[in-house]
Amino acid sequence: MIRYLVRRLPSLAMVLGAASLLIFGVIRLIPGDPASILAGPDAGPDTIAAIRHELGLDQSLPAQYAHWLGGVLTWNLGRSYIIGGDISSLLGAGAGNTVLLTSASLVIAVAVAVIAGPLWASTRRPWLEHLLTGVNTLAIALPAFVTGVLLILLLGVLLPVLPSGGVPPDGLLADPTITVQYLLMPATCLALPLAAVLARYLAESLRTEMSQPYVATALAAGVSRRRIVTRHALRNVLPTSLTVLGLQIGTLLGGAVLVETVFAWPGLGQLIEQAIIMRDYPVVQVLLLLSVGVFVVIQLLTDVVHALLDPRIRLGGAR
Amino acid sequence: MPPMNPLLTRRSVLAGLGFTGAALLTGCTSAVSLQAGSPANETSKGGTLRAGIGQDLIPGNFFTNSNSGITTLIGLVYEGLIRYPNDRVAPTPRLATSWQMSADGRALTLTLRQGVTFHTGRPFTSKDVEFSLRTYAEPVWNGQLRSTAAAITSYDTSDPQKVVLHLAHPLGNIFDLLDTVPIVDSETFDGVGTGRQYVGTGPFRFVSWTPNSQLRFAKNPKYWQPGLPYLDNVNVSVVPDPTSLTSQLRSGQIDYAYGNSYLDIEQLAATKRFTKHQLAGAEQQIYVGTNITAPALSDIRVRQAIAYAIDRERIMSEVFRNSGYAVNLPWPKYSNAYDANKNTTYALDTAKASALVKEYGKPIAEIPLAYSAQVPLYRQTAQIVQANLQAVGIPVTLDPLDGAQFVKRLIGAEFPGMWTTFHSWAQYTPSTLTVSAYPFNAAKNSSHYSSAQYSSDATQAWQVADGGSEEAVGHYGRLSDDLLSALFLIEIGVVQPQWVTSNRLRGVSYTKRQELDLTRAALSV
Repeated sequence: MIRYLVRRLPSLAMVLGAASLLIFGVIRLIPGDPASILAGPDAGPDTIAAIRHELGLDQSLPAQYAHWLGGVLTWNLGRSYIIGGDISSLLGAGAGNTVLLTSASLVIAVAVAVIAGPLWASTRRPWLEHLLTGVNTLAIALPAFVTGVLLILLLGVLLPVLPSGGVPPDGLLADPTITVQYLLMPATCLALPLAAVLARYLAESLRTEMSQPYVATALAAGVSRRRIVTRHALRNVLPTSLTVLGLQIGTLLGGAVLVETVFAWPGLGQLIEQAIIMRDYPVVQVLLLLSVGVFVVIQLLTDVVHALLDPRIRLGGAR
Repeated sequence: MPPMNPLLTRRSVLAGLGFTGAALLTGCTSAVSLQAGSPANETSKGGTLRAGIGQDLIPGNFFTNSNSGITTLIGLVYEGLIRYPNDRVAPTPRLATSWQMSADGRALTLTLRQGVTFHTGRPFTSKDVEFSLRTYAEPVWNGQLRSTAAAITSYDTSDPQKVVLHLAHPLGNIFDLLDTVPIVDSETFDGVGTGRQYVGTGPFRFVSWTPNSQLRFAKNPKYWQPGLPYLDNVNVSVVPDPTSLTSQLRSGQIDYAYGNSYLDIEQLAATKRFTKHQLAGAEQQIYVGTNITAPALSDIRVRQAIAYAIDRERIMSEVFRNSGYAVNLPWPKYSNAYDANKNTTYALDTAKASALVKEYGKPIAEIPLAYSAQVPLYRQTAQIVQANLQAVGIPVTLDPLDGAQFVKRLIGAEFPGMWTTFHSWAQYTPSTLTVSAYPFNAAKNSSHYSSAQYSSDATQAWQVADGGSEEAVGHYGRLSDDLLSALFLIEIGVVQPQWVTSNRLRGVSYTKRQELDLTRAALSV
């Protein structure tokens, strides 16, 4: 296995190296530059030149690339042009908030799906089925910025039971009960489409499962429908549902960009949005390279798991 | 009757609801009750103000007053040497208590306030004035009045309580500089560029900044004005989405907001629960710029036709909800350059505009009108201008640009046709506009306009010893004539920015640069 991993390392390094070059080049192809943003519309060309020099943007592109790559390889990610702080600190704070938000959304989505899916599959009341179908369709169709605003108006303004946005003034760790209240609306907003997809998939899978002969046998033997669903059918469909859940997590991370903006939640989504608008090259470069890195690691882990499950792959790699 | 769903029995539903209700009632403190803020006591002193702003702090823009993060920070933490009242350009004491200009206008002596300390406890002296003005003059900080700061040739700081500024030539706008530049602490200034430390002499001290999230400030207990400020703390949340900002106000989560749309503010004020603050004296100007080397735009008759065709009143009413007024020249009404007659030179006259287009006689190709797509106000303005110009035979294509791209083209003078955006600095001594705002710069500007007469008038207006004298006003009149005859920039209106506060917040004030002044602000129950 170690030999297999070692054989993969050069290709991984090549992917990351090519990605770094691509990211560095592409962001500079976008018109506009950070010096203009910092200078503002009342500035003159001499000011722009001074700022470009200060930021090192007047160096040749290969020199800038080498400087950046050298920093990344030594985990010196540099400073943000616009925010001014260490990128590693910004990354740490933003990643923590995004992980918290997406984790909470995942929990809500799974909880809702596990309750609504079986309910939808087993109900024989037409009005309830129509209701669940309608709610499900809306949850999938409505974009996060619409559900976010609706939730804020309902729970933050009309019935002020939850904060309208932002984070607790004393920080996320000061009082978990307060943090949960700040988290509830953005996490629900982010969770809704995922919950709807999962619930629909679960309901369909359960309907198929409930038509299996063993279910009829169990019903004939006097086992209750609830017991059949919760103890047998649900267990059988959960593994395939987990695959769907895994595929949807990427969507969850993408949706976080919008939700973080609507709810003023200071995560990576908001950070990258601001960084792109402001042409904060170092921050965009690091965040994009990090995304590629995460993807590459996930691919590697997938290959490792496959190798563990399939000896032919392992042996092939070891030869 | 259909069989009961096994998972949805009445018992299970009631148990679930009961559990949820009990958890909500007994389990934890309500964030909503906390977010109402600490109520003030009977004397309306103390408490924490929760505020919201649309733009985060950008440390590199520290001296530019270019976004609400910066203006909030500077307004709370820092002070200048003098301060202009919002309704006129006349210096009043701040960190300088008195001043004396030499007869030749080339030396300004400032007497400094005694007993003022920085938030670190270090006494404020004349050396700090020199450090602040010299730093402001460094190109990398992009202070818009840099040319004025750079005209200070030397500083006499031998007396800690007195500073003498020696000038290369008389500067009619020297007090604009002294009003604008925040006095900074040289010992901690390295922290400014990285956003770690902000030390001034103002009513509040900087506590922390969490990028993209919040700024926190606490009362300066040693503030030189006894008994002030009233508030103990100010927590400022960064809320980039204007709709969310409005929601946070409506829900009572914040009591002050800067970044709402004009329409939202109008609706909030109509509820009587909120107060609209129209920042008269801290204006910006909306204008249409032209590249005078472009086809058709190079002909003055076409530019005049544009000036006659634009329905300024409609733009001020529909886009800016009457928060300001239409103008033909940049000067606000209180400026000593304002002339009501000149200001109606290009009053709306579509017949005259059409006649000028006919007189031009050549077919006019589509002229692109660029604007920053991230600001809805610019889009709305551009759409009205497009309709106005098409009505008189000038075809216009809208060219929405990303904000960074727009600024780059503006500074690089790369617009192929027209553009619309804000400029500022007309609320100061008029010469400041022509030497400091790049679109008006006589030497190099976005319009490719150059004129020996305009350059000469701009320089003469700048180099009078007293920017408020009759001589200076004469120069400003000539500058106005230059602007009206060249029409490389076509003014639309003077726009007063707006803030909104809940009615429980009183005493909010501002400077001419839209800086937040909470020195006398208090929360009432």
